[in-house]
Amino acid sequence: MSLQTPRVLPAHLHAFHPSSATGPRATHTVRLLGTVTALRGDTATITCGNNGDVTLLLKPDSHLQMGKLIEVVGKVVDLEGGQGLGVRVLGTMDWGNPADCDYKAYEYVVEATHRVKGIFYDSNE
Amino acid sequence: MDGGYGYQNNSYGGGGGGGGGGFMPGETNSPSGGKGESNQTLRPVTVKQALDATQPYPEANYQIDSADASTICFVGQVRNISSQSTNVTYKIDDGTGEIEVKQWNDPSSADSMDTDEAKEGDDGGSGKPKIELNGYAKVYGKLKSFGNKRYVGAQVVRPLTNINELHVHLLEAAAVHLFFTRGPPGPKTEAGSGGAVGKGGEMSMGGGDYAAGNNKALPAMSPVARRVFNLLKNEPQSNEGLHMQLIAAKLNLPATEVSRAGDELLTAGLVFSTVDEMTWAILEY
Repeated sequence: MSLQTPRVLPAHLHAFHPSSATGPRATHTVRLLGTVTALRGDTATITCGNNGDVTLLLKPDSHLQMGKLIEVVGKVVDLEGGQGLGVRVLGTMDWGNPADCDYKAYEYVVEATHRVKGIFYDSNE
Repeated sequence: MDGGYGYQNNSYGGGGGGGGGGFMPGETNSPSGGKGESNQTLRPVTVKQALDATQPYPEANYQIDSADASTICFVGQVRNISSQSTNVTYKIDDGTGEIEVKQWNDPSSADSMDTDEAKEGDDGGSGKPKIELNGYAKVYGKLKSFGNKRYVGAQVVRPLTNINELHVHLLEAAAVHLFFTRGPPGPKTEAGSGGAVGKGGEMSMGGGDYAAGNNKALPAMSPVARRVFNLLKNEPQSNEGLHMQLIAAKLNLPATEVSRAGDELLTAGLVFSTVDEMTWAILEY
């Protein structure tokens, strides 16, 4: 089976952590959608609607721009210094102006992909 | 059995069917009619669904959720583009899986590339040049397989730039999946509210029928099973119930689909088989 990257919200990251208590998953790679709100060299922060922030560990060739809506594909990892969970970026997609996106629709998509799991992701639990 | 045919003759009187011929219309007309209908549908799916689609027999249309889905559309990121002399092959990944998409070069559109109109701007040409690596694209096409490899023969591959369209597509795919596996949402709510009203009217339509006869506790089922159940409920019949072929003819459905719907109803304990395995009656208690 090819790589699956579930679409999630920040609150779901813990379930995809490698040491997650919910059992081994096929993937620790997830998709997130958020607005770039801070850029600090090799890390960045995205804000996911009203669902909180996520710290990204960037690739050297990541080119993010402040204030843009981006979709991130990345691995869930521990942040240095026990600051919780972050995402190591594998790839990003720039969707432009956050105002053009109905974030509520994305929240529904995340909900639908978990409720009607059969057509989106293999279940390994 | 004889009782069943008697009714068949009666109902066919208007339509001009003959006694023994009852089998033939069901066998010959329904499958072709069904095909024509389903080939027209364009179904929104996820890549995983496309990969999981099954063929009832080799060379048949692919089925998703037991419904024909030859023409599908999906949205995903373009992970690879390889241009060959006869076709362009894309690898599309929507987060649920990855599938190959082949778009055959159309000689007529290739010609038009050389015209002045096409030269005026990128927009004048086909949508193909604008598809970017790692950008999103929407694909319309038919499921195919070559050897053991599944791919999509694309009619259209176009770039997708509005993220809302991506989200709507995923929600649509989920909604259509639920429609085929659990039936339409409408009748269910009607059954709740229309129950009291439907009680008097025997000949009410659609979901009202369950509300009338069976209270609200009708389990989720496929639309075909619903129709078979409705027919069994409303059709005058002897205590032997109705034969599968007769149901197929009345509903104008292929016998295989009716048979499958029957299995579903049998499993759910809503009907029982009478004189033979293919004759069913409503299980009332």
